[in-house]
Parts: sequence; structure tokens; C-alpha cells
Amino acid sequence: MTDFMRLPLDSAAAGAPLWLQDYLREARSRWEGSTLPTRKTEEWKYTGLQALRVSYAAASEGVVGLAEAGVELPHFGGYRLVFINGRYCAEHSDGNLPEGVSLVRFADAGPAQAAAIRDHLGAAVGREEGLFTALNDASLEDGVFVEIEARVRVEQPLHVVWISGNQEQAFSINQRLLVLCRQDSTASVIEQFSGARSEQQSFTNGVTELLLEDGATLNHYRIHLEEAAAAHIGRQHARLETGATLNSFHLALGSVLKRIDVVVDHCGQRAHSELNGLYLPRGDEHVDYHTCIEHRVPNCTSTETFRGIIGDEATAVFNGRIHIHRDAQKTNAQLSNRNLLTSTRAEVNTKPELEIYADDVQCSHGATVAQLDEMSLHYLRSRGVSRAQAQTMLSFGFVNEVVDTVRCEPLRDYLRGILTRRFARDPAITGSMV
Amino acid sequence: MSQENIDHAISREYSAGFVSNIESDTLPPGLDEDVIRFISTQKKEPEWLLEWRLEAYRGWQNMAEPGWAHVHYPPIDLNGVSFYSSPKSMKDGPKSLDEVDPDLLAMYEKLGIPLHEQEMLAGVAVDAVFDSVSVATTFRGKLADAGVIFCPISEAVHSHPELVRKYLGTVVPRKDNYYAALNSAVFSDGSFVYIPKGVRCPMELSTYFRINEAKTGQFERTLIIADEGSHVSYLEGCTAPMRDDNQLHAAVVELVALDGAQIKYSTVQNWYPGDAKGRGGIYNFVTKRGVAHRDSKISWTQVETGSAVTWKYPSCILRGDNSVGEFYSVALTNNFQQADTGTKMIHLGKNTRSTIISKGISAGQSSNAYRGLVRMSPKATGARNYTQCDSLLIGDRCAAHTFPYIESRNPSAVVEHEATTSKVSDDQLYLCQQRGLNAEKAVSMIVNGFCKEVFKELPMEFAVEAGKLLEVSLEGSVG
Amino acid sequence: MLIVENLHASVDGTDILKGLSLTVNPGEVHAIMGPNGSGKSTLGHVLAGRPGYTVTAGSATFLGQNLLDLETEERARLGLFLAFQYPVEIPGVSNMEFLKAAVDAQREQRGEKPIDAVTFMKNARENCKAVDLDPAFLKRGVNEGFSGGEKKRNELLQMLLLQPRLGILDETDSGLDIDALQVVARGVNSMRSADRAFVMVTHYQRLLDFIEPDFVHVLAGGRIVRSGDKSLALELEARGYAWLEDEVA
Repeated sequence: MTDFMRLPLDSAAAGAPLWLQDYLREARSRWEGSTLPTRKTEEWKYTGLQALRVSYAAASEGVVGLAEAGVELPHFGGYRLVFINGRYCAEHSDGNLPEGVSLVRFADAGPAQAAAIRDHLGAAVGREEGLFTALNDASLEDGVFVEIEARVRVEQPLHVVWISGNQEQAFSINQRLLVLCRQDSTASVIEQFSGARSEQQSFTNGVTELLLEDGATLNHYRIHLEEAAAAHIGRQHARLETGATLNSFHLALGSVLKRIDVVVDHCGQRAHSELNGLYLPRGDEHVDYHTCIEHRVPNCTSTETFRGIIGDEATAVFNGRIHIHRDAQKTNAQLSNRNLLTSTRAEVNTKPELEIYADDVQCSHGATVAQLDEMSLHYLRSRGVSRAQAQTMLSFGFVNEVVDTVRCEPLRDYLRGILTRRFARDPAITGSMV
Repeated sequence: MSQENIDHAISREYSAGFVSNIESDTLPPGLDEDVIRFISTQKKEPEWLLEWRLEAYRGWQNMAEPGWAHVHYPPIDLNGVSFYSSPKSMKDGPKSLDEVDPDLLAMYEKLGIPLHEQEMLAGVAVDAVFDSVSVATTFRGKLADAGVIFCPISEAVHSHPELVRKYLGTVVPRKDNYYAALNSAVFSDGSFVYIPKGVRCPMELSTYFRINEAKTGQFERTLIIADEGSHVSYLEGCTAPMRDDNQLHAAVVELVALDGAQIKYSTVQNWYPGDAKGRGGIYNFVTKRGVAHRDSKISWTQVETGSAVTWKYPSCILRGDNSVGEFYSVALTNNFQQADTGTKMIHLGKNTRSTIISKGISAGQSSNAYRGLVRMSPKATGARNYTQCDSLLIGDRCAAHTFPYIESRNPSAVVEHEATTSKVSDDQLYLCQQRGLNAEKAVSMIVNGFCKEVFKELPMEFAVEAGKLLEVSLEGSVG
Repeated sequence: MLIVENLHASVDGTDILKGLSLTVNPGEVHAIMGPNGSGKSTLGHVLAGRPGYTVTAGSATFLGQNLLDLETEERARLGLFLAFQYPVEIPGVSNMEFLKAAVDAQREQRGEKPIDAVTFMKNARENCKAVDLDPAFLKRGVNEGFSGGEKKRNELLQMLLLQPRLGILDETDSGLDIDALQVVARGVNSMRSADRAFVMVTHYQRLLDFIEPDFVHVLAGGRIVRSGDKSLALELEARGYAWLEDEVA
């Protein structure tokens, strides 16, 4: 591996707590022993890494004046924790931590908490999961560990905001969230990724692990609002034990490079997951979602819906894999991916995959690439709505169906607002240019 | 149904698995430029073709075997493969059927492929390729009256050099991929078809391929050119004897459909699949591709039941506006068979249309993958694709996979892909059994129903054959 | 109000309308009847401007304007409303959002500001009651998962909100039970006025028991082959269409 990450890695090694040092060292040797994938690597066939810089500086203390930098900090009614450039920002963090929830930063962890973190770190994201996870592991200067106690039901969402700031040079940030939902607990976690307006590229590597013990329910939202020069290669793994339920929602506005891997691992029987997502790149942006639904045991169900609108010269990639292991009988797994191309220069590459090793299962997937439905357009127009407005309404409806799956109402309203503004402002995304 | 019953039932016999005792001239194993020169000399080829082969060979030496397919097999030792085998009695080539070795004729009779014209199924002309050479082509006279050329490609090199030279390698370039390059270097024989402008070929054309000799590879090459406004329907069938070691079959098929032409290419592939323990069987690594010009249509239909490992993606390059590509496939794997098959539909022209219907059936401990690519290029305005991939699993030790690649760069193009998977349900079996059918008959009926959409695309005579073949291949996969 | 002269139209290259003429004055209710495949539905779609319906000859003017020169939405804003036989489902777009956009488009045409949300909601709820549709339907996707009858009532709801000058009802009665039919009739009858007209396309005489037409036309082979008053509808009911088709032939 070329040492384009040497500076941030050195900085992380210097800043990480003592009890994590050996974890970092082991990961760094994995990172250094690997090579950057090329287009010949199947997993990276449609996403080149040429946008990565030749070298990155370590992130420094973050920006001040978030509003001027174009970063919104919405409130969703619960506890809010803000990180800027990977560092905790007390100024913007507020709210009260609900009863039955403990939350600690890796940097602040006492001996008992450190032990708990070490016990669970990497339990969902295996060490074989590629070089960017190794990079994240090797950079664990700080992170967040959230634990929901058994049988606790948390109504208000926990809101974690990761902000990449602006700096003189291109810089990189590694972020880590570890959520442990104990038996029969219920909680909601919102992760918001935002980027400050910046001339220089920021490269964020955000890894999230969600561990759901027996009967736990977690609503998790991963909202990528970074735009322009904010690159992100991230990963989210969830591990579901018996009877656990995960509702996972994803949104990505585009930026120079965005690649998110989502893995949902059904490890206990009767686990259920719902995975929904939206991607809306435009300009010359690139968004790549790779999802993988693992069914290791019998009697689990999963549904997945991803939709994208790709405008201008943007590129989107969707790879949705369903993997039914031997003996995972009575599995029910469905996947749907639909895309709208709204420009003659836009591009989408989609690959829904089934890998099935058990016979008594119900699996299906569907993928489409199309324009807005001509008959729906006509119906709207026959009521006097202009073609342009009808296109906006239909495109909005196309994504709105997925936004409807967001269970957290303040977040749902916030996202509708973002999308409405985006659709109203930008004719390219609605296809009115076609 | 119980595992025991399933195991008991998986004991099919390969009916085409006999070895014919025919003396042959077989080249010692191994490959170098001298082998290629030998093949070329044997066939009295012109200098340009030898050079063409050598160029392919040199390219091939720098290429690597593809590793992306979802199949696993030990490395193939090409030094153990003989690249040329010809029945001895064929040395000077038969002038007519009367001169064909009676043992050969008897072998084809045994396979159910009568070469005597008077015994032919009405309206089907046959070219039979035995190991490396074409042994007989029937009905040539009648075809010639219509202006249709149907002959071994080794003969076409001499009789129609301008056509061969113009089109050979234009659809599948010499260095397209590892196996295509190998084929280009060492191809032995195969069929050549030319349908003149506006001619509707008066009968079905058909080629039967047979590997007989042990430790030989078969590298046939087929070239079909349908000139403007012409129509042709072509069928190939394949068999091989039962042998313990694996044998390599690396064919190339090129189709050219000029403006307004229609080519229908059907395959019933029944190479020896190996025994119930996974020993032996054919490695079937085939490159098939067609170029469709304006208003033309290329339709691939395949029924794949044989081979130990299949690696095959009959594809259409829809170059001309309004051209149509179709791919209808039934792929059945049993025991330890592995198949990675599908198609590519490359939409280049405006208003091009493609349809993909793929039915995969996995039984035993086999693995069956659909792999496909639909590409809408920036110029493919108004293009459409519809893809449907269904998998049927029989038993809990088999695997079914779907890997569809969809690439779209045109906002007016519409791509729709759907895939489902199902099993032969206990309820279905119960119903059939309650009506007095045994389990095997019931499964065969259900599987036939599952494949109906594809079978209806086969020429009538072969749809029946395909159904029977499926039944034999599935024999005992359920109890 | 609507003057159609010698209209010829084709769909996918097949000629459907072959010289149809029809004049509708304000305040009138016309019923167009005819056997299947006679072109009844095509007339509505051609007037509304559905893509794929090509006018090959003839003319259609509406309120003095050449209808065929106008975009679909311009025709709607002039006050031409087509109640679809098969209303389209649009998941993700809420019925309310859709209705408000349509009402605002009309207002914009008249140079008015968009209607405020409260007033609109009030209107919409009241009209829901009038068509016997649960107001919960306002929040659902347009026609999404609606039953056949609910879709038809949703069409009527739109007509009530938009208050068109000309309402064309394309087999609105098909598939409705007697109660639903009465709801539709009540809605249409409540809208009848001296400056508004209706064209009802129907296969059965039944609807005309509830909405009394001024004129009845029989469409066959793409042309109007017979016109009369409502007694013609009764005659058709009794004798079927065959005798007329024979006469035409």
C-alpha cells in the first residue's frame, strides 16, 4: 500500500487511548499489506478510486460557524451528539440521555467501558471486510459506543452528527459507531453525515456496527448529506440475533465519491430486517451502494427497497446481494431496485444478486431503469398540471414512497423538506430537462 | 421428500455415453506452434488462415483463464489434451454418404441421428462433426438449389474463401477471451452457413457434435451469415461418451444477421455430465455471439442439460436500429454439475429490443448460475429490455444463483429485470401423487411446465426431444 | 361550446374514429352509446389529448379555441375534464397534493393565487362527503390500492373540485353497483347548470335512468350513426346494437 494515509494514521496512533493501541497496530499492518482495488476487482467494477488524493493530512480541529459552512443541525427531539472532523464538539451537543442508555466516547471510556468496547468492537464487521475497514480500525482515535440496556424502550432518537470540516489541505477522517442493543430493547439511532463547504477534499471513512441481541428492535437511519468534494467510503454491518428486528434507512446525496457497503446478517432465527434507501446524485457526482443480506439460519425475513434518481452526468451504482446459506430454510427475502435516469449523460449500473443454497425459500428481486410513467404524466396533465410540475410531482412521489418508511416523524419531515427544496430547485433531477 | 429417496433417485444413466470403436489419427497431447501448423496443413489451409491462427495463439499465450464465473474445477492441463483427432477412414474425406465408415454411421444411428437422407426427419439437414472433423452433411443438393451454403467450415475455407475471410472473427475477435483465442488457434472444424439475400432457408439446419476419442479437446467453430432479408433456423446437438477424466470443449459460434435478416439458433446440449460422484464429464467453455444489423433479429434458444462445467453466454450485439435479440434458456444441473450461463444484450442502435427468459433447475449437489449483462449505450434511444430469471431448486444440497448486470446510459431506454426462486412444493407433489402419478413423473411434469416458455421457442421436432431429455436428466432427483 | 367536425383519429396506426361530428352547447347533457370497439373511449382520449392518439383529419374546437393545438394541461385549464374509465395509480404522490396542484393550476390560469391549504382541505373534505369517500383517502397515494368504485368516486371528487365547463365521463358507470351509481349521478346532477355541459360515454342505458340526457347518440364504426332523445336509449336497450350496425352496413 502506498502511504497516502501515513499522516492521518500516525496522528491517530498518537492520539488513541492506550487500551486500543494493539488493535490499531494489528489493523495498520493489515492496511499496509493490502493494495487499492482497481476496476478489475469485481466489488469495485463500477467505482474507481481515482478521486482519492495522493496524500491526506490528518484532520485538525473542526470549523466554527457551521451555518456559514452550509451545515444544518436539525433537532429530532432526542439526545444529540456532534463530532467535527472526528472530534467531539460539546458546543453543539445537547439533550438528555434517556434512562437505560449509556453512551461513551472511546476516548473517555473507563476500564469497564473499555473492556465492553473491546469485547464488541469488530463483532459485526469482520476483519476480512476489506482494506477500508482496516484503515478505519487502524485510525480508531475516537468513536462512540452506545448501549441500550435490556428491556429498555427508548422513544426519542439518539442523533449522532458526523461533520467533515474544511481545511487547507485534503484531509481524512475515520469515524466509528458501535451500537449494542441488549435483549428485548427498542431504540432509534440517527446518523447524519454532513460536510462543510470546502475547496479541499475531505475523505471520510465511517464504519458503523449494530449489534442486536435476542428480541431487540433498532431503527437506524444513515443520512449522507455531504456534497461536492466530500468523499465517503463507509460501511455498516448489523448482526441480528434471535427474534431481533432492524429497520434500516439510507439516504445519499451525491458527492465526488460515495461508496457505502451495508451488510445485514441474520444470525438468529425469526430475525427480521427492512432495508430501504435512496440515492440522488447529480452534476458529476458518484454514489455506490453495495448491500448484502446474509441469511445464515432458518425462518428469517428481509425486505429491501432502494431507489435512485440520477441526473446530469452523475453515476450511480447499486449492487444488492441476497445470500441464503445452506440450511437457512423458510427464508423470505425480497429486493427491489428502481432507477430513473433524467439526463442523456447520466449512468446507472445495477446488479441485484441472488446466491441460494437452500431450497425451501421464497426469494425474489427486481430491478428497473426507466423514465417516468407516460400514463401517469398524462393523468396529471389532464387535470391541468403542467408537464414540468407533473414531472416534479412524480419524481418526488418516486422517492417519497421510500421516505414514507422512515418511522421517526421529525426526521421524515426534515427529509421531505430537504427533498422538496432539492426537487424545486433543480429541474435536472426531475427529468424536466429531458 | 426424504434425503434418502432423493439420493436413491439420483442415479440417472447417460444414454449417449457409449464409446465407438473407431480407429483414429490423434495428435499427441500438447500445444505449440507446430501443432497449429500441423492442423493447418492437415486441412490444406491457405497461408492467411495459418497466420490468423498463429496470431490468435500468440495472443492466447498472454491471456489468463477467466476466474469470475461461479464454477470450480481443478486447473486444466492443456499439455495433456490432444488438439486434433480424426477418424482414420476419413483421411481423404468422404465424397458421399456411401463412402462414410459404416461404424460411424452406426454410431450416429445409435445416437438417433440418422445420416441417411431417406431416413431424415422431414426438412432437417444435418452436418455431423465427430471429434475434430465433419463427417457428413446431408441434403446439400436441395439446399444448393435455394442458394444456401451449408458445409463444414474446413471446406468453406476452400469453396467460399471470400465469405470466410470477410466474416471470420468479426463477431468474436480472435483475442476476445481465453477460450475464444484458444479456439481461434486450434479450431478443427464446424459448420458454415450462408443464406443469400431474401432467401428463406427451405429446411431446418442442424449440426451434431460428438466427442469420441479420449483425452481430446474439441474446438469447433461455426459461422452463420444471413444476408439481407433472409431467414434461417439452425439447431445444434452435442453428446460425448462416458469417461472418467474431464474433456475440454471450447467452441466459438459467430452469427451475422445483416439488414432485415433473422437467425434462430437452438442448442440442445447433452455433453457427458460426469457420473453421480462428479467424476468425468465435459468442460463446456463456449463463446457464442451474434451481430444484429438494422431491422434484423437474432434468437438464441438453449436447453443445457449436459457437461460437468458449463461456461457459456450466447450474446447479441444489437448494432442496427430496430434490431431484436432474444435469449431463451433452460439450464438443468444435477449431481455435481456446475453451470454459469446467461447472455449479454448490448444495445447500440435506436429502438433495439431484447428479451431474456432464463429457467435454471438445480438438483443433487449441483450449482446453477444465471449471469447476464444488459447494456444500454448512450445511443440506444428508445431501447427496451425485459428479463425474467426463474430458478427451481430440487433438494436442499443444490445451489441457484442470479447475477444480472444492468448498465444504462440512456434515459429513454427501459430495462426491467425480475428474478424468482421456488422449489417443487410438497403440495404440488402431493396433488400429483394423489391423482396417481409417481413422484418422478410428477416432478418431470412440474419441471416441464416451468420450462414451457422456453420449449415453445424450439423447433417443433426438438421441443419433444428436449422435454424427454429433461426427464432423463432429472431421473431420480426426487423420490 | 364543443364543436367536433369530421374527426378522424388513429391509435397505433389503426383508424378508430372515421369522421365523427358532434356539437355540444352549454347546459346540455349528451349520452354517447355504442357497441364495444366503436370508438367511444377514443373520443374522450382524443379530446383530452392522450399521447399515442393521433388526429388524422377533422377539427375540434372548445370555447372557440382549436382544441387540437393545445397541450393536455391547457385543455384541462380551459375547463375540459375527462373522468377516466381506468384511473391511473400513482404511488408516492398523495391524493391531496395531486388535487391541490390541479386546483392551483386552474387558479393560476385565472390569475388567482394558489388556494390556502386550510380552505382547500375544508373543500376537499366536504366534497369527499358528497361522493361518499372517506377523507382518509386524501392522504393515500393517488388511486393507490383503491377499489374500482373508489377510483370512480375519486374521479368525481376531482370534477367537483375543479368545476370544469365540460365534463366527459368515460364509462364512469361500468363496474359500479347501484349505490355507487347513485352517488355519481347525484354528483353530476348537482353540477348541471346553464353554462356547463356533460358528455357521458356509456355502454348501458342504466346510467341514463339517473342522469337524464338531452341527446343520445349512437357511435358505430367510428362515426355517429344515429342521434335522438332519450327514447333512443330505451330502444337500444330493448333491441341491442345489431340492427343499427346492420343498417350502417
